[in-house]
Amino acid sequence: MDDLNQRVKEMIIQRLKLEGMTPDQIDGQAPLFGEGLGLDSIDALELVLGIEQTFGVKIEDEAAGLKAFRSVDALTEFIREHQKG
Amino acid sequence: MTSPTDQLPHRYPFILVDRVLMREPGVRVVAEKLVSATEPYFSGHFPERPLVPGVLMLEMLAQAGGFLEAEPLSGQAIFLAAVQDARFKAQAFPGDRLTLEVQFEAAFAGITRINGKVSCEGRELCTAKLLVKKVAP
Repeated sequence: MDDLNQRVKEMIIQRLKLEGMTPDQIDGQAPLFGEGLGLDSIDALELVLGIEQTFGVKIEDEAAGLKAFRSVDALTEFIREHQKG
Repeated sequence: MTSPTDQLPHRYPFILVDRVLMREPGVRVVAEKLVSATEPYFSGHFPERPLVPGVLMLEMLAQAGGFLEAEPLSGQAIFLAAVQDARFKAQAFPGDRLTLEVQFEAAFAGITRINGKVSCEGRELCTAKLLVKKVAP
């Protein structure tokens, strides 16, 4: 388990107040929205803000969001790619 | 300044913004609501001691938020999706001149979050974050 992936999970738990949940309980492959973690569009805005404030990466629009929010692992990769630039 | 009924689809007795004092679409709005002794809800809330229901202060902020949109909202659906961190610090009574301030905070995928504050002569009555969802017409 790499460090960034762990930090992304911690950020999700903290921002979305998923109380009682630990990073290990989040399946990195599962979709964030709908099935999987079952997040909704209000959570999406909260995550966009969390990602910007915690990792300094902006999710500009819905198209970028679709890509980034496929799963926790996809989000981790998205942040890694955009932090480089 | 914009007339409330030109911008909002709300009508009597549920238009809760009387005047817009300052408006910068997408950024910030300052509006005003003069609480009249004849507001319909005062006859029941409460017969002996009329006071503005807290949830109506949230609605005032939501309506003031409608002026953040550049285009008139008539015919366009806009919904309150969530209220976060609402605090009611003091009550509002008949005769009060309420200042409604709303500020854009963030938006993503059709959801916008705004920060709102209701005050009366500099006294803070209510603060809240509102999330509104716009549905394509």
